Amino acid sequence: MTVVAALLVPGSPLPYVQPANPPWGALAAALQAAGTALTAAAPETLIVYSTQWLAVLDQLWLTRPHMHGVHVDDNWHEYGDLPYDIRIDTELTAAIIAATPALGIRAKGVNYDGFPLDTGTIVATHFLNHAGRPLAVTSNNLYHDWETTAAIGRGAVAAAAGLGRRVAVIGVGGLSGSFYRDTIDSKDDRIANASDDAWNQRMLALAAAGQFDEFLALCPEYAQAAKVDMGFKHCAFIMGGIGGRFRNATVHGYGPVYGAGAAVIEFHL
Amino acid sequence: MAKGEIIAGYLAPHPPHLVYGENPPQNEARSQGGWEPLRWAYERARKTLAELRPDVLLVHSPHWITQQGHHFLGVPHLSGKSVDPIFPNLFRYNFALDVDVELAEACAAAGAELGLTTKMMRNPRFRVDYGTITTLHMMRPQWDIPVVGLSANNSPYYLTTREGLEEMDLLGRATRAAIEATGRRAVLLASNTLCHYHFHEEPEPPEDMSKEHPENMAGYQWDMRIIEMLRRGEVKKTFDLLPQFIDEAFAEVKSGAFTWMFAAMGYPELAGELHGYGTVIGTGNAVMEWNLVKAGLARAS
Repeated sequence: MTVVAALLVPGSPLPYVQPANPPWGALAAALQAAGTALTAAAPETLIVYSTQWLAVLDQLWLTRPHMHGVHVDDNWHEYGDLPYDIRIDTELTAAIIAATPALGIRAKGVNYDGFPLDTGTIVATHFLNHAGRPLAVTSNNLYHDWETTAAIGRGAVAAAAGLGRRVAVIGVGGLSGSFYRDTIDSKDDRIANASDDAWNQRMLALAAAGQFDEFLALCPEYAQAAKVDMGFKHCAFIMGGIGGRFRNATVHGYGPVYGAGAAVIEFHL
Repeated sequence: MAKGEIIAGYLAPHPPHLVYGENPPQNEARSQGGWEPLRWAYERARKTLAELRPDVLLVHSPHWITQQGHHFLGVPHLSGKSVDPIFPNLFRYNFALDVDVELAEACAAAGAELGLTTKMMRNPRFRVDYGTITTLHMMRPQWDIPVVGLSANNSPYYLTTREGLEEMDLLGRATRAAIEATGRRAVLLASNTLCHYHFHEEPEPPEDMSKEHPENMAGYQWDMRIIEMLRRGEVKKTFDLLPQFIDEAFAEVKSGAFTWMFAAMGYPELAGELHGYGTVIGTGNAVMEWNLVKAGLARAS
């Protein structure tokens, strides 16, 4: 079995940098629990798709073997630094890039000192990668749709299978996208509107119950109605990677990040 | 203290290709040149900027995107390496800049008075975005004039274009009030491309100018229409058409810098001086100047 774990997690830095705030602390605890589950699944490599790594020309993959440094979020700089230290599975990444043109998509490696690792990838790997396993990390090409993104996820897992790798597939991004534009009292943070909350909870319930056909069928409507982060393409990447089927899911946590929806979902295969 | 003034505004787009083509020592990537007409346009703009001898350059960049409020660089000195996440092969720039924190704080306070959410960026490890750096490098590569950097709040994308640009108008008015109150002679830099349709594949090498041309004819025609109006000083007409231009040409002015700059200048019906126009990976870029000293709308010194 190539895919041993599949997770959808939020990329907001707030649970990382402000865990003492109850709404965000609950998400941090959920991320920790997901990290424990991931460690137990013992993947050799984590394949990560983050909505916050924006690309427009090609499908970009990190190919620098070791990346470390300190990142400061463009919006939440007041809460401090996001240190990171990651290693890349360069063999798997090279195989993925080599296989991508067959999907009709151009792919390219990124190997530059000082390349700005995105907040979402840093947050996800901080909570999930307790064992310091190598990663394959890719971008969100703004011009790619659900189908293309799913194909990229599928292709990445196929490349892993070709190398005999046990992998975790991780989509990093949010749920509903309405947020508070002005300063709020963060301890009172909540989902920005009732409609978004209802949509989020409906989708989470379908995932938890393993009703993947209905879950997948509703994704386009959900993405539009709840202004889901980047059209929910992080979910498309996961679904592509796991073949669109899962037994059920554990929702480790659900809550607001300045009004937007965030959930930690572990899909059971 | 004399009342401060805005002495000029420039439309100063930020394709990193222009820095790459110039091969300055700060940029790691090396090129065989390219995009010369646009780089020569910036040469002319550099000369006029030098003649103006401003106290400070204010730049509004669409590549520092914020969701909660309009943010201002608020650390006296910032340095580091800024790598463009889109074109890392072209732009890996070692920057060092001084910030006019007093003016930045005054802008933030004036914005808040007008009802905007504003924030100061106080983290010394903050990586300044490539849009801010490219515009500043192309206008003043000596880096010897203090800077105020403004983020692009995503309101024009999150709200309607009109609602978002109304916020940028308020931000411009606040910027003007802060400049006047602090006695600065300031130049505004709107870091915006016009038509933003672009090619999806990069030539090899990227500076192969035989591959460079407008991505589509309609976008090019929109750019020419807007530039012609600006050259004639038809500013009100330009702003009346701006939402349509944004929709039809996918124009980057949607992100707000252009509106911020003109609001700060009071939307003068003043003919802009076109220093040059050119495409970069298909997008339309104009370097233009509105010199308020030459027009008699600001003091010479």
